[in-house]
Amino acid sequence: MKILVVDDTDAVLLLISRFVEALGHTAIQARNGLEAVENWRSHRPDLVLMDMMMPVMSGPEAAAMIKAEAGALWVPIVFVTGVGEENRLAEAIEQGADDYINKPVNFRVLEAKLKAFSRTLDLNRQVVEQSSKLADYYDRAEEEKRVARHLIEQMVNAERLSDPCLEYWLSPAESLSGDLIAAARTPGQVLHVLLADGIGHGLTAALNVLPLTQPFYSMTEKGYGISDILAEMNNKIRQVLPVGRFVAVVLLALDEINQCVEIWNGGMPALQITDAAGVPIKMVQSSNLPLGIVPSHGMDFVPVRHYFEEPGLVVASSDGLIEASSPSGEAFGVERVLLALSGVKNGLRVEAIQNSLADFLQGSAHHDDVSLVVLSFGATANAVELERVSPLPALSDFTMPALLALEECKWRYSLVLGAEELRYINTVPFMMTFVNEIKALTHSQSDVFLILTELFVNAVDHGLLRMDSSLKHSANGMDDYLQQRAERLAQLEEGRIEIDLAGLVQGGQDLLQIRVKDSGPGFDWASWSRQEAVQTTVAHGRGILLLRSLCAGMQFVGCGNEVLAFYRPGVNRWGHA
Amino acid sequence: MTPTVQIEGSTGRVILSGQFDFSAHREFRQVCESLIANTEIREVLVDFQNVNYLDSSALGMLLLLKEKIGSANKTLALVNCRDAVKQVLEIACFGKIFTIR
Repeated sequence: MKILVVDDTDAVLLLISRFVEALGHTAIQARNGLEAVENWRSHRPDLVLMDMMMPVMSGPEAAAMIKAEAGALWVPIVFVTGVGEENRLAEAIEQGADDYINKPVNFRVLEAKLKAFSRTLDLNRQVVEQSSKLADYYDRAEEEKRVARHLIEQMVNAERLSDPCLEYWLSPAESLSGDLIAAARTPGQVLHVLLADGIGHGLTAALNVLPLTQPFYSMTEKGYGISDILAEMNNKIRQVLPVGRFVAVVLLALDEINQCVEIWNGGMPALQITDAAGVPIKMVQSSNLPLGIVPSHGMDFVPVRHYFEEPGLVVASSDGLIEASSPSGEAFGVERVLLALSGVKNGLRVEAIQNSLADFLQGSAHHDDVSLVVLSFGATANAVELERVSPLPALSDFTMPALLALEECKWRYSLVLGAEELRYINTVPFMMTFVNEIKALTHSQSDVFLILTELFVNAVDHGLLRMDSSLKHSANGMDDYLQQRAERLAQLEEGRIEIDLAGLVQGGQDLLQIRVKDSGPGFDWASWSRQEAVQTTVAHGRGILLLRSLCAGMQFVGCGNEVLAFYRPGVNRWGHA
Repeated sequence: MTPTVQIEGSTGRVILSGQFDFSAHREFRQVCESLIANTEIREVLVDFQNVNYLDSSALGMLLLLKEKIGSANKTLALVNCRDAVKQVLEIACFGKIFTIR
């Protein structure tokens, strides 16, 4: 140790210094309090051995100054005191001196005290070092969290969450949430909502859910269905996260045009479907493993479908909300969620649940991330359809371009698929990747997606698979229809679909020509047209009405296995990007 | 929570108690690794008899254990799962990949 020895008597100063040096320490000398302070400043000794009564500045005064300047650094000060100085000594110790030793100095005792201080100093130094390391860690962690928070905010597109059909709440247990809520619309205006819960909370949990955002947004943009998106998300998680990490997921697809909500629940608490007043209709339990555990081919990504005619709600939350526990240890539970929702108007539902939870917790914090999604369906359905379907444009003021014009197209995109390919290629989203690149169609992606989907589904379902639309009207109609469709597609041995997109110019205006041809036998479109003209309200006519309202012109060709549709690109009527 | 181990013949039983969450991480791993390293043992049972709560990080630990047990050519089963434990395992559909008895 470096020891500052302070005494105004030369003999004592020398004696103590020699002794200290003999013990292997370094001695720095000072002859009064002021010198002691100055030497402390320039040499920063580990310990001070100081006389009390000295000229210029006394020991206790110097001790007080040194202690003040040392601040958080601990410098033990030991007074060397004569008989009769007890009162001043007590005062000095009260003001911060650490110990004393009597004059004449017993060197055996001094040696023992120095050893003791040396041990304490070591310990003290360790503590200081660790706490500064801890402070560094803390700063670094805060900085990392700040960056991560920024990153997550960027990746979770908050703008798209502001959808009239969607109310949500996300309240992290720590500064970062391991729960994620994302929403986006497909080109066909189907609203996709993702609610995900990663293991644990804080940064590592947040990192778990991040890989979901990219497939969710990019595939929704292209119009993929939720089964395809789930398979891709599962692959992604397996690819990037270590074993033992997984993400519980709810993925919803609200299709107002077909009045259907698709729900897939892997490892999240049961979802509740209620009527508009919040009265429960049915529950959708988790029937799947969370994502990231087994390969996609071992998973079943077929969603549960709920068809609706009346408005209602889908309520989904993470376990953080259901399991939030009151001071007495009771869980919040799904009944309280439903109770809070009952009779509450659109836009005020999240607030109602927040208030209910706050009352329940009575000021204590929730320990897991809390997230909640309330999706309202059916409220805008009729409006959407009406806007879509009326007014029926008069086809007469549109002159069909001659087929020859195809030779003069600005661009053309042709695709032919056989039975085998039709089974595994998701054709329309695949074509949308191209359509998205065409500048003239920038504002028309939604329309083009709808037209393509309608024509393509018609060609496959009715042209190749010979499906009967009337099947859709029975009780479990849609489900039966979709199941039969899947079976027939799996067994399809022969069949071709040709799709042609061409960019034409007619009368100085851009015109998109879509041709879809199937290898099926076609149908009697002339008599069908007459019949359909008087029955425009039947459900299966919805598709054709949609096409009529979107297209400038439409025409069946030949035996009815080929259809030509013409579309004028314009500004987007939907108001969504 | 301190897991205890009972060995009967070629079966090793890990008995958990109280809350099974991330705080049990280290002890759980140590206990399991000792069973995996023991070549006498063919089957590992994780006993939830005295567990009243488990969270998602516990599920993660079980997945890790399953992976390790599989590569050591041993079998794994989750036993005596009741109430809260059973509910969490059901929500996660772990019955699809674990033997639960």
